[in-house]
Amino acid sequence: MSQVSLLYAAAVLVVWMTARVSSSRPFRLWIYLAASWLFYFSLDARFLPLLVLSSVFNYYYGRLIRRQPRVGLLWAGALVNVALLGVFKYLPALRPLLSQSPFWQHVAELALPLGVSFWTFQALSYLFDQYRGDDTRPSMGEFCLYMGFAPTVMSGPICRVGDLVPQFRAPFAGSWASVREGAQGVWVGVGMITLARMLAAGHGGFGVADAFALRGTLGTADAWVMLLGYGFQIYFDFAGYSRLVIGVARMLGFQLPENFDRPYLSTSVTSFWQRWHMSLSFWIRDYVFLPLAMSRREVWWRHVSLVISMAVFGLWHSASWLFLLWGVYQGLMLVGHRLWQQLRRGAAPIGPRWLRSGASWLLTFLVIILSWTLFRAEGASHAAGILKAALIPTAGLQLPGGFVLLVLGLVAGYFASQLAVSRVPQRAPGLLSWLPMPARFACYAAIFYLAVFRAAEAQGFIYAQF
Amino acid sequence: MPTRTQIARGLLAVLIFGGSLELYARLDDYISYGAPMWGVYNAETLYVRDAIGKRGIPHARFRKWGLNALGYRGPDLIDGRPTVVCFGASETFGQQEREGSEYPRQLEQELNARAGAQAYQVLNAAYAGQTVRTATLRVPEIAAMARPVTALIYGVPASYIEPPPLDAPPVPPGRIEQPRFELRIVDRVRTLLKGMIPGSVQTWLRSREINADRGAATAVARLPEANIQRYRDDLSKLVAALRQEGITPVLVTHVDAFGETLSDSDRALLTSWRKFYPTLQEEGFLDMERRANDAVRSLGAETGVPVIDLEKAMPTAPANFTDFAHFSDAGAAIVAKTLADGLLPILNRD
Repeated sequence: MSQVSLLYAAAVLVVWMTARVSSSRPFRLWIYLAASWLFYFSLDARFLPLLVLSSVFNYYYGRLIRRQPRVGLLWAGALVNVALLGVFKYLPALRPLLSQSPFWQHVAELALPLGVSFWTFQALSYLFDQYRGDDTRPSMGEFCLYMGFAPTVMSGPICRVGDLVPQFRAPFAGSWASVREGAQGVWVGVGMITLARMLAAGHGGFGVADAFALRGTLGTADAWVMLLGYGFQIYFDFAGYSRLVIGVARMLGFQLPENFDRPYLSTSVTSFWQRWHMSLSFWIRDYVFLPLAMSRREVWWRHVSLVISMAVFGLWHSASWLFLLWGVYQGLMLVGHRLWQQLRRGAAPIGPRWLRSGASWLLTFLVIILSWTLFRAEGASHAAGILKAALIPTAGLQLPGGFVLLVLGLVAGYFASQLAVSRVPQRAPGLLSWLPMPARFACYAAIFYLAVFRAAEAQGFIYAQF
Repeated sequence: MPTRTQIARGLLAVLIFGGSLELYARLDDYISYGAPMWGVYNAETLYVRDAIGKRGIPHARFRKWGLNALGYRGPDLIDGRPTVVCFGASETFGQQEREGSEYPRQLEQELNARAGAQAYQVLNAAYAGQTVRTATLRVPEIAAMARPVTALIYGVPASYIEPPPLDAPPVPPGRIEQPRFELRIVDRVRTLLKGMIPGSVQTWLRSREINADRGAATAVARLPEANIQRYRDDLSKLVAALRQEGITPVLVTHVDAFGETLSDSDRALLTSWRKFYPTLQEEGFLDMERRANDAVRSLGAETGVPVIDLEKAMPTAPANFTDFAHFSDAGAAIVAKTLADGLLPILNRD
């Protein structure tokens, strides 16, 4: 069952109605849990036992850590979770290095359980929080729901026990107002996912993946259009998905953390990482960077910690040199920004404010768009070819005109819409709520039409592979 | 209780939403296919009616289906290049395949690939619902316009389940009657809903529809021998008409998506086939196909017309079909290869 399907919408409606009529909190909890597990089962029946097992293990292990907060115990628990992730996520990448014995080959061919990176990181944060003395004491049912909560189980946002469990305990909050607010989020999410699928499907059967397949024939303009296309495809896909699940949760009365906040409008790399995949970014900050940076007092160590943290961020996606390089690149850019800030501290500003902001935005945008090369390329030589094409000016445009127009049109449309939204006073929450009712419903119809009748069929979310 | 204003606002919202959907559907057709924004736009806009029956309007286009200067699907013919003409119905026209993947187009590519040059062209002289009888009436016209050397006949036995169409009163020539207005979004929503309804429910709904369509008529378990004979006679007439024009006829046995044993999904597929012919029970279709193909083979043997036995050559794998008898791109490729195997010796000989 895809999260962009009418069946899913019907299931959400049934759960909402059942929860609304129920006055018993434990009953609601079990309804949510049953629906969540059923949803996960429908995605891939094989991995539900793994999710349940991980939930039960971490629940009891967390209780143990709370009773005996010893660092050795914490690391042992963390190691078990990382090992689980490693078996499914990293062993296949090590296949060439593994023994040729049938056992190791079988291990290397294991399928990746859906959302394992997301719910394992939730389990890890629970263990860390228990060690730090977090006072949220979830019951077994609450913890299982926290781990497998249907809206977030597949691709986040990565939640914390302290944020979610109190909401499970609160009275039902799925009022009409929250349904309306959530539904607006769902609409916007579906619209963004549709834009991502339009970029994937492309024009005349030529999409972003086809552009990446054109190895060795790219000019500079080709490389930048292609990277722009991918940068916006992944943004629309994941930010749209996040908005959709946050909207679904909101309809049911839950408030999930935001995952994206218009990251392509950032005027520094530091700001970008406070606005892109925020739930993972803040997870890495709280559980990797801060403990690491605070272990020594020197400034250089803080910079090294930043690079290490971003390398972990990269490796979270997959065990590949390119993701590691991508993380290191982001870390170096963050360090570069900090050093620049230190250098400019106290110095007189250069040029007018709008020029400084514009230049900062453009530089940040280009740095981030270029980094998608390492994220998307299919190998080191492929990445090198794209970087060479992007950075060493070459004339000519090989990409089909329709595809180029589609990419540039969507990018221009995105920035124009952001500009329009920023100039209209917000009367109510939601991206479209500022529009008059007829225009709003015409927009909803456009989103519905594009999503249902025009979006490329049977295409998964990019982040579902992580 | 909602107030009148709230009800009015709700109705207005529904109206705007629905109206916008219709507008987007028209805009989509316009951008994607160059369709007119206003007026009707459906597959029937490709055709007019003449004394024989339906005929294509030269250069007409509906979505992925474009007609050539002769009013047949595909590109314009090139003078002087040997032409193979394909007679048939929707399977030959190519209902489900992507543009250029219908089997006559793939056959053309296959023949030319094997010849190592652009040596042949294929004229797709089929349309959905064409019978062997109407094809026969078109032979002199096609012979004059395209001067084909060979004709492939892919007859559809199912069109002989119902009484002969010519028994019906003649329809005057002219434009095919169309509704004055149609909501283009309706067809899209119908397809969407169809995809959402579980297969078992769809089969149940189809069964109800079949019973309603059948009315008081009795559904037979086995197609009467007279109907098979009528199919054979019409094929025989088409063969004779082609020979009279100096065109070499080649018969092709009909193929369907069903194997030796029927699964539950096969039975559901049979019900969807029967929806078009409610007077024959599901089990009668496979028997009809077998007997009709035997008739094709015996006609070939009797008249010396080569028979390409597609039924024996074509695997009944689900990937080759989009429904009970229409081909997928992959299925059409297999058909094209099989036909090219059978056709090349004949073309080389002639």
